[in-house]
Amino acid sequence: MIGNFKTKGCKMIEIKSVSKRYYTSSHEYTALDAVSLTLSKGEYLAVTGKSGAGKSTLLYVIGGLIHPDEGSVLFRDRNIYDQSRSEKDAYRKKEIGFVFQQFHLMPYLSVLDNIRLACYEKSHYDTIDSYLEKCSLTELKVKFPSELSVGEKQRTAFVRAIISNPEILLADEPTGNLDPGNSKILMDLINTFHLNGGTVIMVSHNHDIVKYADRIITIEKGKIIAQSQADAQQ
Amino acid sequence: MNPFKLVIKEILYRRISSVVILITVIVASSVAVSIFSLSKASENETRKIMREQGLNLYIYPKGTNLIDFYTVNNTGTFPESYVDVLATSKTFDAVRHLTGILQVRFPEWEDPNGSKHQIMLFGYKDEAIQKYLQEQETMGFDVAKGTVVLGSLISKNIKPGDPFVITGEDGKAYSYEVAKRLSEGKGLMDQGVSFNLEDLQQVLGIPGQINKIEALGCVCKDGRIKNARTQVQNIFADLEVTEISSIADARENQRVMMNKYGAFIIPFVILSCLLITGLLFYQNINARRREIGLLKAMGRSIYSILYIILLKAFILGLAGGIIGFFAGSAIAGYFGKEIFLFTAQSIKPIWPLFYGCIVIFPVLWMLSSWIPALLAARIDAARTLSEE
Repeated sequence: MIGNFKTKGCKMIEIKSVSKRYYTSSHEYTALDAVSLTLSKGEYLAVTGKSGAGKSTLLYVIGGLIHPDEGSVLFRDRNIYDQSRSEKDAYRKKEIGFVFQQFHLMPYLSVLDNIRLACYEKSHYDTIDSYLEKCSLTELKVKFPSELSVGEKQRTAFVRAIISNPEILLADEPTGNLDPGNSKILMDLINTFHLNGGTVIMVSHNHDIVKYADRIITIEKGKIIAQSQADAQQ
Repeated sequence: MNPFKLVIKEILYRRISSVVILITVIVASSVAVSIFSLSKASENETRKIMREQGLNLYIYPKGTNLIDFYTVNNTGTFPESYVDVLATSKTFDAVRHLTGILQVRFPEWEDPNGSKHQIMLFGYKDEAIQKYLQEQETMGFDVAKGTVVLGSLISKNIKPGDPFVITGEDGKAYSYEVAKRLSEGKGLMDQGVSFNLEDLQQVLGIPGQINKIEALGCVCKDGRIKNARTQVQNIFADLEVTEISSIADARENQRVMMNKYGAFIIPFVILSCLLITGLLFYQNINARRREIGLLKAMGRSIYSILYIILLKAFILGLAGGIIGFFAGSAIAGYFGKEIFLFTAQSIKPIWPLFYGCIVIFPVLWMLSSWIPALLAARIDAARTLSEE
């Protein structure tokens, strides 16, 4: 089983009128403009839109990495940006798993050690082997990122993201560097995580990818301009 | 994952930059240790040379005619316990090393061939170090009881290990084993025999008496003679003090110059190395921006990121400090043999410096990485992780 969740459906994340602006010397750029959104536990949300629309900003705001200028992000009814720095760190450590387009594996750590980096309880270490098996990484666990294919790197990054049983998986263009075959393998893994009760928020502009989601929102110029329930492949 | 393991793996992965940082620590610590060791050796050498040159201060009975003091050498005596009183006096800090000496001209010493000579006899009390000054190794010319040291001109038939026989004031013949013979060029000592003080007092029949104190290693560069004279006379009004060697001044000036040189060069080298390290750490942080961003995304606190960077600096500082200590000591030992005559064989690792190295260098290198570490803690994880 990938992920370890039971209940589904209750409200998990509520984003209320979140705005985020960036400033350069010459102009102001609005990445998010009063975005509001609610996510249920176990939901699979795909965020699409053009480059620079604000998709990744939304993802990182939810992940506690970008402080919004206005609005609030409630996780289980608590605004994560009202919390102390250590509480926010704990939120990212325990509730969030990140998968990035660029994998961001530590180049000096083996596959096994990259995954161990995200473990903070003994039970996490105990499950590494089974995740490696499910993601076809067992034979590669002593290899370093430079010895892996892009698909293997992304599968390693995926295991690292979910090894600590986070509630939410935030994926930022996870298939952006993968060929169709590896994309499908990764999406199946993410989908399995979702089917086991995990909440997924995935940023992508690949329509073949977003079809896995329960709900798709489209962002343009920092605003949600469209929202639809997808025909999930479950 | 254990931060120590993470840091070690990163050090091994970025070998070149880690080795360059390690080299900066080794250079700084070995330069500091070698210069400090050579400076100490120079200080000891200077004092020993000053000793060879006849020291810098004589303390003798008040009223002694200095012409007699220098030529006849049979002057009035005073108790040897005066040495111990001066060495333990809180008010006498003008000199560090004190040697009580009984020095007399012996008119008729019969050599093994039966011919008689006028020779000098020196009795040395074990050197006393001023109790309230910083501890140093003794510089004195101690002679073991039951042995003598012969000057170069004394009967050349007597070899080390042979008996040296002298007739005492009581008419008895006293025999001592010759420990060694001094090389020539020692001035008055060329025509003399050195005893342990107690042995000579027995030969001369004046137990507990000496007739001068030689003082070594003035701590007060300016007005030292005045200080020493005043301090001694405040304790013993029946004693006089005289400075006897201007060469001593030149040697001391040389020592002070060496210390000043060390005081300039050591901080200069350390600061240069710290600056290079700071830049290398800054470069290292730039190269690791995504790793640091990832650690933040995984919920590592800024303190744990600071800890990881500072731990790396600590490990490299500690390793470099230890290697540098041994390298610096080896350099000092190697070049010291070429530079110093008297102390060449006694240049050894200064162990208190080792403890200094394992504390100072890790701390300094952690300080040099402090700003890069703060920059690392401020890295915008979202921005670095979303960069393509």
